[in-house]
Amino acid sequence: MRRAAPWVAAIAAALLVPFAGPGSFVLHVLILVLMWTTLGAAWNVLGGLAGQVSFGHAALVGVGAYTTMILYLKLGIAPWWGMLAGGAAAALVSLPIGLLCFRLRGPYFSLATLAVAEIVRLVALNFESLTNGPVGFLITALPPLHLGGWAVNWESKTPFYVAAVLLAAAALVSTDWVKGSRLGAYLVAIREDEDAAEAVGIDTVRVKVITLAHSAFLAGLGGGFYAFYFRYVDPDAVCNIGLSMEMVFIAMVGGLGTVGGPLVGATFLTAVAEVVRGQLGLGHLVFYGLSMMLVIRFMPEGIWGRVHRLLTRPRGAAADVALGG
Amino acid sequence: MSRLEVERLSVSFGGVRAVRDLSFSVAEGEILGLIGPNGAGKTTVFNLVTGFVRPASGAIRLDGRPLVGLKPHAVARHGLARTFQIVKPFPRLSVRENVTLAAFLRHPARRDAEAHADAVLERVGLAHRVTVAAGQLTLLDQKRLEVARALATGPRILLLDEPMGGLTPAEVGLASDLVAGIRDGGVTIVLVEHVMKAIMRISDRVLVMNQGEKIAEGPPSRVVEEPAVLAAYFGKRRVA
Repeated sequence: MRRAAPWVAAIAAALLVPFAGPGSFVLHVLILVLMWTTLGAAWNVLGGLAGQVSFGHAALVGVGAYTTMILYLKLGIAPWWGMLAGGAAAALVSLPIGLLCFRLRGPYFSLATLAVAEIVRLVALNFESLTNGPVGFLITALPPLHLGGWAVNWESKTPFYVAAVLLAAAALVSTDWVKGSRLGAYLVAIREDEDAAEAVGIDTVRVKVITLAHSAFLAGLGGGFYAFYFRYVDPDAVCNIGLSMEMVFIAMVGGLGTVGGPLVGATFLTAVAEVVRGQLGLGHLVFYGLSMMLVIRFMPEGIWGRVHRLLTRPRGAAADVALGG
Repeated sequence: MSRLEVERLSVSFGGVRAVRDLSFSVAEGEILGLIGPNGAGKTTVFNLVTGFVRPASGAIRLDGRPLVGLKPHAVARHGLARTFQIVKPFPRLSVRENVTLAAFLRHPARRDAEAHADAVLERVGLAHRVTVAAGQLTLLDQKRLEVARALATGPRILLLDEPMGGLTPAEVGLASDLVAGIRDGGVTIVLVEHVMKAIMRISDRVLVMNQGEKIAEGPPSRVVEEPAVLAAYFGKRRVA
């Protein structure tokens, strides 16, 4: 870790928020922002750092969410463990997907991910003995949990908020760590020119498969959290293409390949969604699409990328997609 | 002993036999010039040898070790590096970062890789441009960067695909000196080039291809007099 102190401070500050006594609606919105941050960061690791645009990340979220549900409702394993298992399951599922899809490049890869996501959705819909089909899963009561002698109150938003902070922190810190590592440098090379990357000895398929697994782990964690927090999962909720698009949206609006971008993108997305749903009550996806077009046209480096550039780089200096930057 | 051996290599693209039954070898410390008219299959040979294209048949050995079936990154790891005819820098990365990425192959620690990259950049004459984005370089400097990146992988043999294409005569002189200097540093070289003056001056041996086949091989001065070579370049009637 290159910059441990700021991270520790930021995470500690975030964990102190519930002590300021926010209402449960505020905490709920913060939880959503952090959940979307995790999901956007999951997509960003692959799409932003490595330049591999996936349109099927909902499949990995779905694997995480279903794993959490199935482990709890069929085997009695608590959902906080289920989230971790969901991340691991999504990473595992991503390996064959990566080995297959990474034979393709550019738009062909993107189309393949779209197909994979549809396959996963159909499995969730039709493999009823495992997934309950279209009915989905509902958690009626969470298992009791005692931490340091305190019984956790599942009616409060606070425990979920703490979990969401830790998840988002895991996503952003791991992004930062990868960016500073040799692996991160390889990802930049792959994003810039895959043939040249191979020519200098980078095993591009292996690097991409590892990164997809990292991305999938975070997506699975996010999916597990979705199941844990909303206590309801069906194929429409976690396996639909809208979810995949929202992950793309967060990463792009926030700033592709930046560490903080997903947090900015998630804040923006949550705000747009709440306002549009509340005021207009119609197709928030239209507004996602509109704002994405505006960002791509006027701010291709995203909100975070633009702000970061204005703050750190003197006008006219060389590009700083630096290996560690 | 030969560093690189190519035996009866063939590949076709949609019915066109791009390389046909091609055999040659490159001795350690040699500069082999690979020439031929457009479409002769020179770049395809590079793509075959470096693993970017898989041959339909034939064998390729680097110091006796078979290379066919290996991916390009594995070929690079074995000590065979290449440059691209159309330069492929990582355009938004600085010159130093471009070369550092290649240096990672033999120097896993970032500090070592950067030090090695700086040394290589010094050698190719790019030391004064290390912080510039690669996409901003002049063509000559991009060609130098291409060579620097290949060199930084620590190759035993270097395949240069038209390193002088598009350069001015003065720049060709500089590039030739650079290539000769690399060989003197102990790296075997195979050079595809259209700039005849340069290739005749620095090659120890020349292999001439036409329509995917070898039509002549030998010292530069002798090869240019062979009827088959003249026919390939200028047409048959003039020779006849």
